[in-house]
Amino acid sequence: MSDERLQAITANDLREGCVVFRAGDGWTAQLADADLFGDPAHGEAALETAKAETTRVVDVYLIDLTLEGGQPVPLSYRERIRALGPPVHPDLGKQTVGGPAIEAIAHATGGARSTGRLSLIKRK
Amino acid sequence: MPTSAAHYLYDEFDAAVVADRAAEFRSQVERRLSGALTEDQFKPLRLMNGMYLQLHAYMLRVAIPYGVLDSEKMRALATVARRWDEGFGHFTTRQNIQFNWVKLKDAPDILDHLATAGMHAIQTSGNCIRNTTSDPYAGAVEGEADDPRIWCEAIRQWSTLHPEFNWLPRKFKIAVTASDTDRAAIRVHDIGLHLRRNADGELGFQVLVGGGQGRTPYIGSVIREHLPVRRLFSYLTAILRTYNRLGRRDNMFKARIKILVATLGAAAFARDVEAEWERVLTDSVPSDFPEEALAQIRARFGVVEFETLPARSAAFEQARADDRRLARFARNNLTAHKVAGYVIVNVSLKGDGVAPGDASAAQMDALADIAERFSHDEIRVTHEQNLVLPHVKLDDVALVFASLDAIGLATPNIGQIGDIIACPGLDYCALANARAIPIATAIQARFTDPDRAELVGEMKVKISGCINACGHHHVGHVGILGVDKKGEEFYQITLGGRADEKARVGDALGAALPFDQVAGAVDSLVEAYLRERLEGERFIDTYERVGLGPFKEAVYADAHPA
Repeated sequence: MSDERLQAITANDLREGCVVFRAGDGWTAQLADADLFGDPAHGEAALETAKAETTRVVDVYLIDLTLEGGQPVPLSYRERIRALGPPVHPDLGKQTVGGPAIEAIAHATGGARSTGRLSLIKRK
Repeated sequence: MPTSAAHYLYDEFDAAVVADRAAEFRSQVERRLSGALTEDQFKPLRLMNGMYLQLHAYMLRVAIPYGVLDSEKMRALATVARRWDEGFGHFTTRQNIQFNWVKLKDAPDILDHLATAGMHAIQTSGNCIRNTTSDPYAGAVEGEADDPRIWCEAIRQWSTLHPEFNWLPRKFKIAVTASDTDRAAIRVHDIGLHLRRNADGELGFQVLVGGGQGRTPYIGSVIREHLPVRRLFSYLTAILRTYNRLGRRDNMFKARIKILVATLGAAAFARDVEAEWERVLTDSVPSDFPEEALAQIRARFGVVEFETLPARSAAFEQARADDRRLARFARNNLTAHKVAGYVIVNVSLKGDGVAPGDASAAQMDALADIAERFSHDEIRVTHEQNLVLPHVKLDDVALVFASLDAIGLATPNIGQIGDIIACPGLDYCALANARAIPIATAIQARFTDPDRAELVGEMKVKISGCINACGHHHVGHVGILGVDKKGEEFYQITLGGRADEKARVGDALGAALPFDQVAGAVDSLVEAYLRERLEGERFIDTYERVGLGPFKEAVYADAHPA
């Protein structure tokens, strides 16, 4: 595990409900293609822009990442499941595409709270 | 009006309500997608139509009133699974079904399709009266005071879109049984109704209030021993008004009626209800249903036309003598029927490696065919996440078994350790702290030998992925609760809970265990039980006799080796 702490912006697609990650001016289905922020100030600024896209996404928040073999991996177990799909159904969700980025997330260990998600739940 | 159908037939008024609601939601979705509604404005509307946003997708919860389906409804659910989901649905502990992979843009089409079969998602979420649940053997088992479905249907009609009770302090759940053996878990409901006759032979309800699970579990208290059936709705109105007036709205964790009842004390709460009841009875518009309305509901259930058959079936006896698998299925999955020559067939949705409660579209379609052919077109959903074919001729059991076996639904484990309740947990649920389904499948994997499972006998394992207790862990003989410890999954085990007529909340066994030690711990509990049990004792009986000690020693000696 890298010591480098990064962040990405995640949300759910409004129409489809699927998990998406911020990439440039749009959104991507795979964390490997997401914009990564090393500076928390940059992440917060991008978050505010992303939150304005209210007819494209819902529940927008920042997640904490590390790098595993050069691939972004969420620190939170919950966020790893969101980035993969349900562990009980490996035939469903993003994990079906396979490849090194998915493998890196699937084999990650350890846990941390999903701070962004936690604040969302508290607001519910 | 009278019909030979075994289930309630919805009338044109019901159909209009459901169709109108689907059209209304279509408009709401369109306005949300266009931006005319904000997410904050839309979210309560989507929840009122059973749509949640989960980890990977939207989830649609569809109501199955008191768990009763016919083949048309089951096929409608199969179509939803096939056309708009990933090919399966998940039957829940509220006797409903959830689809975990739906898209918001498809939701109006799904609700339109469900409406064609008289189905909907109304009041499957929100702080309103949720689906009233009942005994899955209703109308099929000996000893009932009346058919509880009649009363459940009346409650459904009374509570649907009830203007006074759609914005309660919190959600509200009612369960009804008419049997002394409680298969509806009425003691852990906001209101539990036990339909029975008093010493004078008059039909009435024993009324329990303030049971529930979740963060603060309580067993319900009896506030009335005998409520004449004709007064049910004025009395329910009095309870709901009392709750609406006194229930807390400032703290969602203290807003359920169980907290109010516990705070006031059951006797004081009962006095408040009785006082309110006197006022309700003077309302200008009576709350109680007229006799003719209740008679009309009863008539719309029709009558099951049972054949006159011998109590024993030579064909069935021969078939099970010839087929050990059928014999095992018959031992574990059949329940006596009130009519000679018939039997209740329990269909386990707990096959090895399958998420508890899941059924594929193909299985649902096949079950519809089986019910149509062999069970008077009726299927029941149980709160233990299984299905029931309530009226099967003994002569047909071998054929039903073969038909179920062909679709992978002949697992002979009803009530056994593999028949586990589990919520969707962190595999799907946005609120969960930990996974529940993989714990269930890991436990099942240790008991795939059906001889060993039968040796262990009745043992109810219930797993929740968070304190909301959708997996009923508080009332499991073995309860397992997933908790979050600094972002990692841990599991607290409780023992001795039960949801039946002797309902109680389980006792904590000890420190929480990590994910990979839970199935082994359950194995250790089983071994301790087999060592300790006396002749004829079930797990729960042994636990109630010997207490936590031997089990604690077994689990923590094994789970934390020196």
